[in-house]
Amino acid sequence: MEMVASLFNSDNYTAVKKMMDVAALRHAAIASNIANVSTPGYKRVDLGRTFEQELIKTIDGRDASKIAALDPLLETDSLTPSTRADGNNVQLDSELLKLTTNTMNFDALSQFASGSLKQLRTAITGRPA
Amino acid sequence: MNILGASSITGSALDAEKIRVDITSQNIANANTTKGIDGKAYQRKIVAFESILDAANGNGLQGVRVSEIFADQSKGELINNPQHPHADNEGNVQMPNVNMAFEMVDMMTATRSYEANLAVVRNARQLANQALSIGR
Repeated sequence: MEMVASLFNSDNYTAVKKMMDVAALRHAAIASNIANVSTPGYKRVDLGRTFEQELIKTIDGRDASKIAALDPLLETDSLTPSTRADGNNVQLDSELLKLTTNTMNFDALSQFASGSLKQLRTAITGRPA
Repeated sequence: MNILGASSITGSALDAEKIRVDITSQNIANANTTKGIDGKAYQRKIVAFESILDAANGNGLQGVRVSEIFADQSKGELINNPQHPHADNEGNVQMPNVNMAFEMVDMMTATRSYEANLAVVRNARQLANQALSIGR
C-alpha cells in the first residue's frame, strides 16, 4: 500500500491541493468583502500578506509534508486606506477583478489536478483515457 | 475547502441589498404622501447595515444584515396650498422629506451591489463545478 499512497502524495499533487484550498479560502474572503461593501466601518479581509511568498518558498523546497502543513489564515487589511467617509476600505471593482482572477486560477489548478490523475490512469491501464 | 460556506455570506448580502431596494421603492412611492399612518407627512426611511460574524465559517469572515430601519427626522418642504385637505390653519402643507435624486442614486448603488454579489455566486458555482470535474 505504501507505493499506492505515494502515487497520490507526490509534491506536485500536494501543492495543487493546497493551492486549491487557498483559492477557495480567498474566494470566501472576497465574498465577505463584496457582501460588506455598504457596511460602515468594515475593513476588508484577505490572505496574510506573507503567505504567498511562504507558499512559493515551500513549493521550491519540494517537500510534500511541509507543503501540506501550510496553514493559510485570513487577516483584516487595515493598511489599505479608506477613500470613503464611513471608513469602509472595500473597492468594489478591485474585489471583482480579484474574484475573476481567483476563479481562473482555480480553473487552471483543477485542470492540472485532472491532468496528473489522467497521467496516472494512462500509466496504470497502458492506454490513453 | 469550503465554498458553500461563502455562499451563506453572499446570501446574507443579497437579502440586505434587496431590503435596501425595497425601502427605496417605499420612499419613492410615498414621495407625495402628506398623511402617513401616524397622521403626519411621510418621513423617508434609511437602512443601516452591520456585519455579522459567521460563526460556522470561523476565520473572521463576515456576513451582513440590516441592523435598523429608521426614519429621517429632517423637515420636508412647507408648501402654501390652502385648498389642500391636509393644510394647517395657515394654509401650509407639510410635504415629505423625500429627495428623489437621492433615492435614485441609492437605488442604483443597491442594484450594483446586488449584481456584484450575484457575480460572486456565479464564480462560486464555477469553482464547485471545476472541483467536481477533477479526474474526468
